[in-house]
Amino acid sequence: MIWVLGVAVLGIWDIMFLNKPALLRVTNGFINTIIICLLVVIFTLILSWGLTLGLHFFQYRKIRSGYIVLTFILNLVRSVPQIIGVLLSYVIIAALITRGWIGGAGVFVLMAFCMSVFIFMEMVDLMRERISHFTKLDFYNAMKVCGISEKRIINSDILWKNSRIHIFNKLISVFGSAVFLQCSVDFIISVGLSTGVNTVSMPVTLGSLLAKMDSKQDILAIGNTLFNPGYLPQLFMQHLQGLTVAFLIVFSLFCIYSISNGYAERHRL
Amino acid sequence: MKENSFSISVRSDNRTIVSTDFFPVYQNEITFLFGESGIGKSVLSKSVYGLLDPEGLEIVINNKPYGLHLNNHWTKQVRKNSFFVFQEPSSHLNPLMTIKDQLNEGSLGGLEDREILSYLWQSSGDESVRKIIDIFPKPYRPSGGEKQRILLAMAFKRINALIQKDNPDEPSFFVFDEPTGSLDNNYRDLFINLLFSKFRACPFTIQIITHDYSIISEIYRSHKDLLRYIHFKELSRISDTQVRVDDFSPREYLSWLNAPKNHKADKSLHDTVLEVNPHFEIFGKSLSVFSDESLSEPAPLIIRKGEMVYLKAPSGVGKTTLAKIIMGLYKADKFRMSLCGLKVSQRSSPSVWQNKIWGKRAGMVFQHADEALNLESTVKETFKGLPLKIRINTETLQNKLLELFDPPVTKQFINKKVKYLSGGQKQRLNLLRTLILTPDLIILDEPLNGLDFNSVRKVLSLLDEKRALGSALLMISHNEEIFENFIDRRHIYHLNTTS
Repeated sequence: MIWVLGVAVLGIWDIMFLNKPALLRVTNGFINTIIICLLVVIFTLILSWGLTLGLHFFQYRKIRSGYIVLTFILNLVRSVPQIIGVLLSYVIIAALITRGWIGGAGVFVLMAFCMSVFIFMEMVDLMRERISHFTKLDFYNAMKVCGISEKRIINSDILWKNSRIHIFNKLISVFGSAVFLQCSVDFIISVGLSTGVNTVSMPVTLGSLLAKMDSKQDILAIGNTLFNPGYLPQLFMQHLQGLTVAFLIVFSLFCIYSISNGYAERHRL
Repeated sequence: MKENSFSISVRSDNRTIVSTDFFPVYQNEITFLFGESGIGKSVLSKSVYGLLDPEGLEIVINNKPYGLHLNNHWTKQVRKNSFFVFQEPSSHLNPLMTIKDQLNEGSLGGLEDREILSYLWQSSGDESVRKIIDIFPKPYRPSGGEKQRILLAMAFKRINALIQKDNPDEPSFFVFDEPTGSLDNNYRDLFINLLFSKFRACPFTIQIITHDYSIISEIYRSHKDLLRYIHFKELSRISDTQVRVDDFSPREYLSWLNAPKNHKADKSLHDTVLEVNPHFEIFGKSLSVFSDESLSEPAPLIIRKGEMVYLKAPSGVGKTTLAKIIMGLYKADKFRMSLCGLKVSQRSSPSVWQNKIWGKRAGMVFQHADEALNLESTVKETFKGLPLKIRINTETLQNKLLELFDPPVTKQFINKKVKYLSGGQKQRLNLLRTLILTPDLIILDEPLNGLDFNSVRKVLSLLDEKRALGSALLMISHNEEIFENFIDRRHIYHLNTTS
């Protein structure tokens, strides 16, 4: 609620005082960031659920080779730092865009998919922990000996009925991680690789907006205000683009963190 | 007879936990309070005793706030003179104090306990008792039965102090919540004998909350002289939250118990369903099955169609372990059985159970319904995914539930989450989930846990129907009295460790 209210107040202020092209850029950047992060959440859920099931059934049916291969792939991805992994993926995506192999909505999907590949392990760990906890209880064996299928026990009884609150809470933090990673990587890409890649062809996000020259000047203006307090009123009128972007990133991350904590507290996780 | 009667309502988060218009406490007499698990026996007793933590609860006693009840003369005197033995002894013992210190803590200090401990441990010397009281309690040591006896010893110290005062007008209220839950029959009888001998010396108020109906037989056998001081009461449900204290007829129980039983199946069925080799090994232990009580001759455990077999053994020997080996949930070091012609041994692959046994040749009811059911499922969802021959809709499910639940079984009840059911309701649901199936063998581990007498009768009658229709039933239970009366002697097997 506070998040929506904060973003709405900021939106009204920007509509009144931010010039139209900058307003359009900020709006696009914000919407694009949210869409990509929501897609990351969806991909993370699909990938983690699928992989968790794969690992469980390889283990349950004692298919050692399948279990080892899947665990190896998972550990390999886990060994790559998230930011490096996403950065490399984005470089590849940028290259694909410049060659005209992908474009439009495909870029969003690919960006989200690449990011979720480096985030979803946390969700796999959570799901496997839940399965491991419940398989030690009588509840699991009692259902098995009644002839209820393993597939149903794992999917419906353990993951859906007994873990969906935990999974949803994790998805909130995945969304937060995605916002952070998205902004960090886009910022790096836009600043560091701008000579090699035509950044204009990548979707505008909050991270790439923050890397723009005018946003940077706006951020510098905040520093200037620390030493010239009289400049403060102009900060909210003349440096709105950078300020808005920085505020949206920090405020969103803070709100997601609070939502996740509040949710965990409410459901006593 | 002086009777204190209470109307009690306990609410939390706008939900009534339990409520009753009449909860009697008979001064200087003995009350046995029966009733299914989770119906509210402990909560009601704790609220009268003044033990409920009012934080987050709205407790009203005799239409007055709980604070007034806590501060009235009767409650203050009761708390000064009496003792409350909790159901779960582990939760009552402080792991940071030795048991000896806890036996002498607060107002228990300075009271003699040597005689009580020697009696409850049946030892003439100090040695065996000292081994227990000089230690810090841990989850696994002392054993459940020993912890229970330590709490009973505390209560007896208080009883001795009360008797020494010799003032019959002083209010007292000794509550024993499932005091025999972890005790075998021998220790149970010792406890009852000691308690009643103290009562004979100087009457005081006793309330015993229990599911153990076999105590009735023991009272009629050994303490008939006290019957005029004893009230048998049963807590029954009027609505989801409202309960009522009714009279319980011990004679009805005894006549039901001693009624002649028909042990024969409807049809002549001689096919062997299960045959387990008499010797098996697991966790480095050797165990054997015997057909006689003297444990002289090991015999294979054989169950034929339409037979109900009772497996007896002291607590902790391995009855549930054997059941889990049969169901393929534990892997034995050495084991051999034949289930409906299917030969199974310790070398058999887990897929044998998965593909050929679970839900088809055999099913099992687990001991603790709370752990065996998915608490987040609804009653209806509990039956989903079962390998049934017929499609189960709301109507058929309602009819099925009526076999063990009192009418009406509403749609609201069917859609209720299992976690909101009482312990007794969960146990009945746990039983029905397996009994709705039609496997050749059904193993029932403590099927009467937490049930009231009415439900016990219904369950046994349902099991008898299953048996008569040709199902083979393997019963594991500590309710020896009931099962020894219910099952043909030829079908009682004994399990014990062998060297």
